[in-house]
Amino acid sequence: MTFNLTLSGADLLLLVPEMLLTVWLCVVLIVDFAMPRLPKEHLAYLSVGGLGGVLACLLWFDLAGISGSLFAHMFVVDGLALFFKIFVVGATILVILASVDYVRRFRFFKGEYYFLVLMSALGMMFMASANDLLSVFITLEFSTFGFYVLVAYLRDDAASNEAGLKFFILGVFAAAILAYGISLVYGETGKLVFQDIAAASYTPGLVIGFLLIFAALGFKIGAVPFHSWIPDTYHGAPTPVTAFLSIAPKGAAFAILIRMFFVSLVAFKPAWVLLLVGASILSMTYGNIVAIAQRNMKRLLAYSGIAQIGNILIGLAAGTKMGGDAILFYLLTYLFANLGAFAIVIAVGNLIRSDEIEDYSGLNRRSPFLAFAMLVFLLSLAGVPPLAGFIGKLYIFVAAIKEGLYTLIIVGLINIVISMYYYLVIVKKMYINEPTDPSPLSISGPMKAVVYVGLAGTLILGIYPQPFIDWVVAATLMFSNVVDSTASMRPTVPPFGG
Amino acid sequence: MLEEFAFGFPILSLLLFLPLLGALSLWLLDDEDLIKNAALAVSALELVLAIIVLLRFVPDSAAMQFSERLRWIPPLGISYHLAVDGISVLFVGLTALLTTLIVVHSCDTVRQQIKLYFMTLLALETTIIGIFVSIDLILFFVFWELMLIPSYFLIKLWGGGVERQYAALKYVLYTLLGSVFMLVGIALLNLNYHDWAVTHHIEPSYSFDFLELLTVPIPRDQQILIFWLIFAGLAFKAPIVPFHTWLPDVLLEGPIGMAVVLAGIKLGTYGFIRFSLPLLPDASKSEGVVTIMATLALIAIVYGAIVALIQPDFRRLLAFSSISHLGFVVLGLFALNFQGLQGSLLTMINLGFSTAGLFFMAGFLYVRRHNTHLSAFGGLARQVPLLATFLLIIGLASIGLPGTNGFVGEFLILLGAFKAHWVYGAVAVTGVILGAAYFLWYYERAMFGPLAQGLGQAMADLHARELFIAVSLSIMIFWIGLYPAPFLRIMNGSVQALVQRLDHGSAGAVQATRLISRE
Repeated sequence: MTFNLTLSGADLLLLVPEMLLTVWLCVVLIVDFAMPRLPKEHLAYLSVGGLGGVLACLLWFDLAGISGSLFAHMFVVDGLALFFKIFVVGATILVILASVDYVRRFRFFKGEYYFLVLMSALGMMFMASANDLLSVFITLEFSTFGFYVLVAYLRDDAASNEAGLKFFILGVFAAAILAYGISLVYGETGKLVFQDIAAASYTPGLVIGFLLIFAALGFKIGAVPFHSWIPDTYHGAPTPVTAFLSIAPKGAAFAILIRMFFVSLVAFKPAWVLLLVGASILSMTYGNIVAIAQRNMKRLLAYSGIAQIGNILIGLAAGTKMGGDAILFYLLTYLFANLGAFAIVIAVGNLIRSDEIEDYSGLNRRSPFLAFAMLVFLLSLAGVPPLAGFIGKLYIFVAAIKEGLYTLIIVGLINIVISMYYYLVIVKKMYINEPTDPSPLSISGPMKAVVYVGLAGTLILGIYPQPFIDWVVAATLMFSNVVDSTASMRPTVPPFGG
Repeated sequence: MLEEFAFGFPILSLLLFLPLLGALSLWLLDDEDLIKNAALAVSALELVLAIIVLLRFVPDSAAMQFSERLRWIPPLGISYHLAVDGISVLFVGLTALLTTLIVVHSCDTVRQQIKLYFMTLLALETTIIGIFVSIDLILFFVFWELMLIPSYFLIKLWGGGVERQYAALKYVLYTLLGSVFMLVGIALLNLNYHDWAVTHHIEPSYSFDFLELLTVPIPRDQQILIFWLIFAGLAFKAPIVPFHTWLPDVLLEGPIGMAVVLAGIKLGTYGFIRFSLPLLPDASKSEGVVTIMATLALIAIVYGAIVALIQPDFRRLLAFSSISHLGFVVLGLFALNFQGLQGSLLTMINLGFSTAGLFFMAGFLYVRRHNTHLSAFGGLARQVPLLATFLLIIGLASIGLPGTNGFVGEFLILLGAFKAHWVYGAVAVTGVILGAAYFLWYYERAMFGPLAQGLGQAMADLHARELFIAVSLSIMIFWIGLYPAPFLRIMNGSVQALVQRLDHGSAGAVQATRLISRE
């Protein structure tokens, strides 16, 4: 295999958002060093400004329909990649805004925090474009690198250190599995690019290789049975990092999963549908049942997150373009509802220094706005109409019913009822119970902005989802020939680019 | 004036969102009296709008009227389609009337968090109106689910019982459990439409629109599957025995307003006559389905009445009597003939006056004694003659005395049931007798006989607001009882079309739907 590594100016255009972010994270680091007196909040706004520029650039790419591939198809820019890049950058902006108050708690390295967040975001942007197993490995490790540090950022806090260590050891383990899987696939086929692998014929080594890769990605998204790091890591990590971890890497990993299953493995669809159905059922059921017993908000959101991933896997198991659309749309609804809920956990945590569900008692008396926003986010996560989560779940279920995955649907629906229980328990605490300390709570400007964005997103995606559905449908256009199960077993390989 | 007002004017949207807007504007008010008056004004305006719709409604027609349609989520075939026909229009009026009466009642009885209470109540009204005016199945489902949220808060925050937390959660989780299966059923209808649309090159290729779904034949086996999936959702909400266990808890623990809504507005059985029967005619008339549904209905009639007989608490008695009455409604539906369907539909409306009225009466008693248990009553007729009189009037309507509305409905149902199979009719008649027994026996113990021990203090009779509620309900009871023609005429066209649809089945769909669809 030969790599054509010559780059023309037009090719470089495709890399502009990443280059912009690379420059910007250096700028943030330099400003931090050069101006030690500068209040650290300004670094946050500086980072958000840079990300805003990147976002504008990405939106321009998307609207102008710019697409292409670089480095012998290792790096592609297409609708799917742009969707996930916008997703990651949007999530990063919200997380940074939600971090401003929290960062004051750190004793050291306040400036570096923003640098590390930006670096992880850069890694995840590359993940969205990864179109070859090598770039999958490199980008995945690159993005996780920042998280290893961020999770253990509360240096004097034993829980944070434990979280960091667990995340690191299991993360490295997953990386090793990933590398092993990739080497098996390469050994069997001699190919690395997803589209090339699609032409490979069935061998046991290939199957084992892909199972190992799936395990590593399953670790990344926290699907059962690769979820064991999630509760402790989410609990111990600084809350904004938990929020970041709960959404952005999941999105980026789904970009890779969609490419892998819909492009490389399209010929083996009947086999992997079973695999995904199993993972989905386990994730939903385990996540929801264990969530019932939680007393801590972050742990509860961790387990509910595992269950949500199970829901998203339903769309992957459907294995059609519609399933892909549904995944993208669901991730959008999850972005707003989940980040919104975490924003409130951060805000409340900053004010009362506690994440215990018990301490949310009487939140309505202390801050009606926070309680109402939390209500909306939880109901959206539970899938109550007309909020975003309902449309997301509906989309996913319709895609799956179309493929006749009835067992999965029934399990998924029963899980909605289970999840409603623990979400309502929180609602009850907030609205019915009396607060132990009735003093009112007020939140800062950036925090409010995040909550407002979350509310707006949750309501708009629920009430007027049309433009967003158009967007996700356009983003997965290259999979339109990954057709339903009734079609031939080996559809034509999707073309590169958009 | 009415002509130009209703022509091309989105009156159903206004009807749908007026209570919600009212609820939001209450947020701005602070003064308690002002809030009460504003809530009353909003609900009264809503009632006026509903009456305008009823007056403008063309009777004896099967057409969907006041239709409004916007594309909402085209890729999934979801539209914002509102319309009413002879089946649904009366429910809109009923909902508006009952909400107004609940607001009137609540002005004296709700003491805490008044603003939030009225906001929640008006939001609940929007969701219920939404259930009745939605023609798109997803839109219907949205309101169906959304209704749970205000209900949850109403039961939890303003319920009177100690077990209200438990009751609220039970209600929400039970209903949700049923509705998720209904959602699968709805999705299957959509996919069936999709398959048909793709093979016949019809645009759009996805649709949840009731009228479009009607045009597509559905294989019989699939109809039966979808029927039972949708049944799960409707049976929990209705509730049909054996899915009824939440009802007594909620009616006892929740506030009176919530009890009136749940007992008076028959959402579950409305779902059957609106969607299940017309969309799944072959399933609905298949022998298995009819036998099971009729058996469940008969069990509900007899079981509800027998359990009601031994209840010492008035609200529990009403809960079981409500279950028994619902059995009649279901029996009428699955008699599948004109009389049965018409009787069912009329009985659903009637229960909104009689059962809901009895819950108002229970509310009046509750205000006076802080209890509805028999031990708190006895010899009340001498103390509160007006209350006792109206309780008797509404109670007799609920047991179906000739001259009251209950008689017309139950008579039609029994007629339909005997026509379908004599056994159905015979068993149902015992329910009528038991119904008279449990009510009259309770009435006698509570109203006559010796004064209750240790509760000698004087009880005030009905005051103006309560009298207003009792009188308006009684007027409706006698109006339908003595001159039901206007109400029956409103239903006739749609019920006739439904009967034809049931005869033709889904295969002969195209012809039959012409009758139902479009105006």
